Amino acid sequence: MGTVHARSLDPLPMQGPELGVQADDVEALEIEQEPKQEVLENKNVVVQQVTIDGLGRTKDDFLSYEIAEVFRAKNLIDVMRRSHEARQKLLRLGIFRKVEVIIDTSRGEDALPNGLDVTFEVTELRRLTGSYNTMVGNNEGSMVLGVKLPNMLGRAEKLTFQFSYGTKETSYGVSFFKPQPGQFERNISVNAYKVTGQFPWSSLRETDRGISTELSFPLWKTSQTLKWEAVWRELGSLGQTASFAIREESGHSLKSSLSHAMVIDTRNSSILPRKGGLLKIHQELAGYTGGDARFLKEDFEVQLNRTLILDSVISASLWGGLLLPIGDKSTCIADRFYLGGPTSIRGFSMYSMGPQSDGDFLGGEAYWAGGLHLYTPLPFRPGRGGFGDLFRTHFFLNAGNLCNLNYGEGPQAHLKKLAECIRWSYGLGIVLRLGNIARVELNYCIPMGVQSGDRICDGFQFGAGIRFL
Amino acid sequence: QFLLADRFHLKSTAAEPWPENATLYQPLMDDQILLSDHASSLSVQAYLRMCGLPIQVVCRYNAEYMSPSGKIPFIHVGNQVVSELGPVVQFTKAKGHSLSDSLDDVQRAEMKAYMELVYNMLLTSELFVQWCDDATAGEISRPRYSSPYSWPLGNILAYQKQWEVRRKMNAIGWGGKTLEQVQVYEDVNQCCQALSQRLGTQPYFFNKQATELDALVFGHLFTILTTRLTSTELAERVKSYSNLLSFCRRIEQTYFEDKKLMKD
Repeated sequence: MGTVHARSLDPLPMQGPELGVQADDVEALEIEQEPKQEVLENKNVVVQQVTIDGLGRTKDDFLSYEIAEVFRAKNLIDVMRRSHEARQKLLRLGIFRKVEVIIDTSRGEDALPNGLDVTFEVTELRRLTGSYNTMVGNNEGSMVLGVKLPNMLGRAEKLTFQFSYGTKETSYGVSFFKPQPGQFERNISVNAYKVTGQFPWSSLRETDRGISTELSFPLWKTSQTLKWEAVWRELGSLGQTASFAIREESGHSLKSSLSHAMVIDTRNSSILPRKGGLLKIHQELAGYTGGDARFLKEDFEVQLNRTLILDSVISASLWGGLLLPIGDKSTCIADRFYLGGPTSIRGFSMYSMGPQSDGDFLGGEAYWAGGLHLYTPLPFRPGRGGFGDLFRTHFFLNAGNLCNLNYGEGPQAHLKKLAECIRWSYGLGIVLRLGNIARVELNYCIPMGVQSGDRICDGFQFGAGIRFL
Repeated sequence: QFLLADRFHLKSTAAEPWPENATLYQPLMDDQILLSDHASSLSVQAYLRMCGLPIQVVCRYNAEYMSPSGKIPFIHVGNQVVSELGPVVQFTKAKGHSLSDSLDDVQRAEMKAYMELVYNMLLTSELFVQWCDDATAGEISRPRYSSPYSWPLGNILAYQKQWEVRRKMNAIGWGGKTLEQVQVYEDVNQCCQALSQRLGTQPYFFNKQATELDALVFGHLFTILTTRLTSTELAERVKSYSNLLSFCRRIEQTYFEDKKLMKD
């Protein structure tokens, strides 16, 4: 008898930016058909056996959930579809380098005439993998050296050590990740880290040593995350010319906080999406599980995208946040919000907006920022179908405000304050997409509504990062 | 002791007069400040009062980290931040206020020598008693140092400070020894004896006018006399010299009459 051989697709990329044309739609499965197969098409079949070959340290019971659906297939097309889905599920566990699917007719003594055997041939990842990446954060670059132990105990647990050295930040950390068997999207991770950062816009040095545990689970269409974190923060002035306001923030503090985040993401891609929307709501309550810092912090992010005629996309986004101190202590500079720069309000220097003292920016307790973008293909469409598709021209309008609130006054006064002295900017530029993770922009910006103390960057501004307004 | 850049810097500040809102920063008085820091702070306060320069004292739990050199106290005058007695004396001199102008070179060298004596013997002994004596460290120094912070940060910082001071003590050969072994009290006694002999029956150490040496000695002796430790031995050594006692009382009455100096 002939065999149906499902050709496997390329394995999903784990992480890290990669250059290349990104296919947003999943490729359809290709099937090699031999003439004898026509007999089996659309005939009812029974999946008698599903085997996974090539397991080493992975535990069997863990994988049974991922392949359970294959048994339910009723006809051949169904078998192929469910096998493909099971293959995707096995790959997303992050424990296999390659998964191949072979569908064959049943053999052996209890083989039924319409029985099928499905075999997944897997190649496990090595016990210890090292990696070297260069990462692009928000307008900074860094080298990341990592050591990973994937599938440490056989059920997709992952232990990661990471060391990162960057233009603004040096950090190292260890992280342990464990998914729930059968429900990979429900997982728990425990992290410990030390991060040192330098922030020249505030003449501030910050060293954070922290531990956190995070629980993620899906709920209906949303993804929820609950996190407890304890951080020992050490602040100091950067250089002798730091203002006295920054000097007053020097010292140590301990923050112990509980936070919750909810994300609904219906976009087709996180970088330069063509359709869909994003809603992210995050809140953090500090002080009720110990520590010195006591506050309630709320922030949200909304983005909507729509494709228009001629392959252009219109995108609108809105960010906002509020920091409410609890008790007598005022807020710490490490908890406040910052605004401005090539990744938020373009045309202004990095985080150089809002309350400041002697040229050092202190951050604010409340902010909002909005952006309206029109993305079009490059004029005259050079390199269409290949490299040229990575570039887009965009026209943008950004606006926002950052200030401190006097919590003695009511919410009316706060809204009024956020509505006064709005900074805004407009311009156009070129966006380059880096894989599915990051993007690079070169814009010509015209900042407006500049308040005294803000530092602007009018004219050409370059930005690289993951999260853009 | 000063770099050339500092000299130019000080020259440029000479033109500005002493502002009304000059402030001195130290740790919290009631619960946090330790003997050695309080002594240093009182020395600077006494010096500025002797110069007739107004200064407000502000307590901050993070004063040690605010200070540019990491040491208490520091003063914020106009745009400048200056810490410790030596630099403060230089700073006020650049602004035209000085207590030791009338001294000749021999006397000035003598004054520097006695100040070095206080730093090397009195201050070192204070630090040793605070941090290297297990009883004092555990009952007084660590609890006070960690009081503004929540657990476990306070404990971590207090132990860090203790290790740092003990490392410094190792460098001068006092590491790993008990109070009796390093003869701390003997050193204090010798220092007080030398000071007492120099002072004699005079009101101040030099002529009839207070100098920075008077401020420094007052700061340390007064604090030793008025700070409660696990034992009274340190204070007893000072008390045995009556002219030093009356010196402290006199300085307190002359320059600190408007202020309640006693803590605890």
